[in-house]
Amino acid sequence: MVPSCCRTVIPGSFAAILLCAAGWMILAQPVASQDPPAPGTPESVAPGDAPQLAPLTETQIDWHMRNRLSFGPRLGELPGDPSKWREWVESQLDPASIDDTECATQAALRYPSLFMPIGESYTAYWPKVPDDFEELTQELRDQFFAYRNERLQRLEMELRESVLYRAAHSKRQFQEVMVEFWRNHLNIDQNKGNCRYFVNDYEERVIRKHAFGHFEEMLIASAKHPAMLIYLDNDVSQKPLTEEELRQLELIRKKRLAEPNAMMGEFARNLERQSGLNENYARELMELHTLGVDNHYTQQDVFEVARTLTGWAHGWQGMPYESEYGFQFRDPVHDKDPKRILGTRLKKGGGEKEGVDTVRMLARHPGTADFLAWKLCRYLVNDEPEPALLARVAKVFRDTRGHLPSVYRAIILDPEFIHTRNYRAKFKSPFEYVVSAMRATDVTIDDPRTTLFMLHRMGQPLYQCADPTGYFDQTEAWLDPGVLVHRWDFALRLVSGRVEGVRMSPLVLESLGPLPSGARLEAIQKLALPDGLGEREREALAKAQSAPYLLGLVLGSPAFQQQ
Amino acid sequence: MSPSRRQFLKTSVNAAIGATALGAIGAPAIWSQTGVGGIPKRLIIIYLRGGSDPLNVIVPYGDDDYYSYRPTIAIPRPGATDLPDGVRPVLPLNRLFGLHPAMEPLHELYQQGMLAPIISVGSPHETRSHFDAQDFMERAAPGVRSIEEGWLNRYLTQTEKPSDHFLRAFSPQPLLPRSLRGRYSVLAAPGAGSGEALGAFEKLYRPKDVPTPPLVVDEEKKSKKKQEPTKPPVTRDQMNPMIHNAGVNTVEKLRHLNKILAQRDQTIRYPNGPLGRQLADIATVIKAGEPLEISAIDYGGWDHHSYENNQLSRMLAHLSESIAMFVRDLGPEKMKKTMIVTMTEFGRTVKENGSQGSDHGHGGFMLAVGGMIAGGKIYGKWSGLGPRSLYRDRDLPVHTDFRDVFAEVLGGLYEFDAKEKRFFPDYDKLGKPLGLFAKG
Repeated sequence: MVPSCCRTVIPGSFAAILLCAAGWMILAQPVASQDPPAPGTPESVAPGDAPQLAPLTETQIDWHMRNRLSFGPRLGELPGDPSKWREWVESQLDPASIDDTECATQAALRYPSLFMPIGESYTAYWPKVPDDFEELTQELRDQFFAYRNERLQRLEMELRESVLYRAAHSKRQFQEVMVEFWRNHLNIDQNKGNCRYFVNDYEERVIRKHAFGHFEEMLIASAKHPAMLIYLDNDVSQKPLTEEELRQLELIRKKRLAEPNAMMGEFARNLERQSGLNENYARELMELHTLGVDNHYTQQDVFEVARTLTGWAHGWQGMPYESEYGFQFRDPVHDKDPKRILGTRLKKGGGEKEGVDTVRMLARHPGTADFLAWKLCRYLVNDEPEPALLARVAKVFRDTRGHLPSVYRAIILDPEFIHTRNYRAKFKSPFEYVVSAMRATDVTIDDPRTTLFMLHRMGQPLYQCADPTGYFDQTEAWLDPGVLVHRWDFALRLVSGRVEGVRMSPLVLESLGPLPSGARLEAIQKLALPDGLGEREREALAKAQSAPYLLGLVLGSPAFQQQ
Repeated sequence: MSPSRRQFLKTSVNAAIGATALGAIGAPAIWSQTGVGGIPKRLIIIYLRGGSDPLNVIVPYGDDDYYSYRPTIAIPRPGATDLPDGVRPVLPLNRLFGLHPAMEPLHELYQQGMLAPIISVGSPHETRSHFDAQDFMERAAPGVRSIEEGWLNRYLTQTEKPSDHFLRAFSPQPLLPRSLRGRYSVLAAPGAGSGEALGAFEKLYRPKDVPTPPLVVDEEKKSKKKQEPTKPPVTRDQMNPMIHNAGVNTVEKLRHLNKILAQRDQTIRYPNGPLGRQLADIATVIKAGEPLEISAIDYGGWDHHSYENNQLSRMLAHLSESIAMFVRDLGPEKMKKTMIVTMTEFGRTVKENGSQGSDHGHGGFMLAVGGMIAGGKIYGKWSGLGPRSLYRDRDLPVHTDFRDVFAEVLGGLYEFDAKEKRFFPDYDKLGKPLGLFAKG
C-alpha cells in the first residue's frame, strides 16, 4: 500500500515513529492482512490536511494514550519516562491485570443496589406495604410512604453516583472509557416507565459484564434485560391478534361498556389482556444497536423481527414466590407463524431460541461490523475517522465474531491511532470534561450529587437521555456558545472547594503554593496539559495571582477541553 | 448525518475577532439600543421530539374510521357521556376535528383566531428513524446529506447584516436544536450563567494569536448513494479556533443575556416544567425590547409506543398551558409580531398498536400560534382514513410538504423569498401557500 519510494523521502525524525510502529505491529494481534500505512507518510494524509503534519513525539503519544484510554491522568500518574506508555497501554487493554480493589470495595459499600440480584434490590428499595398496613394510623402510613419514596430516590441516585465515582476513581480507566461507550450505545433512560428498578442491574450485568467480552453476548443480554424490555416497549409486544380474536374483543368491549360490572370469563379476560405487536425495539435494535439506519433492512424486516421477539417479557420467578426477578418467555403470546428476516425464511414454530438466534444473527451481520467499527473509531479516534482504518477494524470485528478486546486492540494499536491529525482532535463531552478535571486535581468524591447536577446543566444528565440514540459523540454537538460557562464555573468551584462533596487533593496546592508564579504555570501545565497553551494564553494566565485560581483557569482553558 | 462546522471556520473566526474588537470599545451598549430598523418579527420553533401522534392531538372525531382503528386510545366524541373517571371528550374545532381535551388553553386561542392547526403535513421522505427524520426536517433537506446547516441558521446567515444584534437568535437550552446549528453564531443558554466565570475566562478565550486554520475544501459531493460523503478528519488546529470562538461568544452574549434575565418579572407564573421555564426566558428577552428574531426549543418525549394517553394528556397540557401563558405574558400588541410554530418528525400509525400506543408513521401535524396569522381555521388537506388514502396502508399521508410551510412562514414574517433564494436543496417548485398570513 505504501510504495517504498515514499519511505526514502521520509525525514529522519520519522524514523523513530516508523520503527516504533513496526515494533508495535508485532505486539498487536494481527490487525489486518494488508500492509497498513505508516503514520505520517504522505499517502495516509487526507487531502484537506495540507500542510504536512509532523509526527507525534513520545511525550505527545503518552498524553494522547492517557487522554483517550482514560479520562485523563491523575496527579502524579504521568511517568517521568514517556516511553513507558506501551506498558501502560498494554495493562489498560487487559483490565483484569490491574488491581482495582479499592475502587471496587468503595463502590460495593456505597452503591449496594448495583450488586444485588434484581429481585433483592427491588424489595430493598421499594419496600412492600406491611401486612398490618390497614391497622396503622394515618401518620404511620404517611411515614411509610415517605420512607419508600426516599428508598426509591436512593436507588436512582446510586446508579448515577456510581457512574461518576467509578469513572473518576477506578484504576481500570480504559474499562471505564469503554463502559461509557456501551452505556451510550445501548442507552436506557432511568425515567421511562419502571426502568428505574432495573437499570442498576443493567449497568452491572449487561454493560460492565460484557464490555470486554463478545458483542453478541452483550446484545443478547440487553435484549433480554427488563430495563431494555421496558425502555423500548418489547415487554408489551405480543403476537398480532387474528381477525377472529379482534371480532371477539370488539364484542367484549361492547359488553363492558354496556355493563361495566359484568362478570367475564377467563377467555375474555385473557383476550383483553392480550395486546399485539409493538415494533419499537425491533426497529432500534437494527437502526441503533446493530446495522445502522436503513442499512440492509426494510420496514418489513422491522415487522418480522418484532414478531420473532414477541412474548419476551419479565417477571418474578422461582419458588418461593418473589425469590428472583428476570426475563420470561411467554409462549401463549409468542408469534409462531413462519417469518422471513433479511431474506432468511424461518419455519413455523417460533420459540424463544428463534428470537435469540435472530439477535445473534444481527450481531454477526457484516453490516454490524461496519457500523460498530465506525462508531467505535468515532469515539476513540476522530469525529471523522479514516475509511482505511474503518475497513481494518471492521475486518477484525468480523474475523473475531465481535470479540471486543480484539477490536479495541485493533483500533488503539493501529498506526492511525497516533497519527498527528488525531492528536487532541476530540472535544470532551461534559462527562469527559468533568471527570478529567476531577482526575487532574486528584479529587476524592464523598458525595457526587452536586457534580451530577452541574453535569445536568451542561446538557448531559447521566442515565437520563430520553432518546435511544444516546448522547452525541461529536464536537459540534457540545460546542455551542453559551454552555461553556458551566464548564468554567465547574473549574473555578472545583479548585476553590465549592463543589459540594468533592475534595481536591491537598497535595495539588501544596506543590504549587511555594513556587514563583512563572514556575507555577509550568507545573500546572505538566499536571493538566500536554502542550496546549499558546503565547497569548500564557500571558493571560501570568496575571493570575493565586495558585488555585490559576489552576481553575487552566482547567477551563480551551486546551483542557480537548483530548 | 453529522453536520460539522469545519468549512465555516474561517468566516466564523474572523467574525469572532471582529466582535471582540467591537466589544472592547463598548459596543454592547450601542447594540442594546433597539432603534435601528425597529423591532423585528419573531419566530419561535418548538420541536416535539419523538413523533407526536397527530390523530390524538388534532382528532378527526367526525370520521368513524378513527374509532374503529383505535378502540382503546381514541378520544371520545364531544358530548360523550358515561365516560370513565378522568376521561374527557374532544374539544371540537369544527364538525370533523377537535383538539385533545388537555389542550383547553389552545382551544381558547383557536376561538380567538390565534391558533392555526395544520394537518397531514410532513416530509416526503419515507424514513421512520427519529434521528434521520428530525435531521432532514431541521436542515429542511429530506434525503440530502450535502447541506450541513440547520434551516433557521441558514436563514440567519443569508440575511446577516453587520448591524445584527447579539441576541438576534438564541435558544434557552444547553445544546442548540439542529435547526439552529451552523455558521451563524447562536447563543445556547439554559438561563443565566455565572458572572464570575465569565469575568475569569474572558481574556483566555480571546482568539487573537490563534492561527487561522487551512480552509477545508468543501467538495460538493452530491452523491445520490446512501453512504455519506467521506470527510477528512477534524484536527486539533481546526478545533482550536472553534473553541475560542465559542468562548468569546459565550462571554459577550451571556453577559448581555444575564442582565436581561435579571429583569424577569417573578410575579408571572409559568407552568412548572422545562417548556414553561424556557418560554418565560424568551418572553423576558422580548419584553426587555431586545431585537430577538429567532428562537427554537426542543421538547422531547413524544414517542408514545405504549399507554399513550396518560403521557399525551400530561405533555399536551404542559405545551398548551406554557404557550397560553406566553401569549398572555407578551400581550396582544407584542403577539402581533410573534409567531410560534410546533412541529414533529413524523406522525404515528393510524391503527393503535398492541400496547395502547402507536408506532412510527408518516404524515404529522403542526400548530401555528400568533397575532398576525389567520387562525381559527384548520389548514391542510384531509383525505380521510379509508384504506385507499393511507400511506403504505398504515399511516396518514403527507399532503403538505413541511418545506412549503417553512417557506410561507419566512415569507410571511420576513418577506424572505425561499424560492428565489433557492433555499431548499433539490426542491425548486414550492407548493401553493396555505394562506396562514391571509388575515385582513
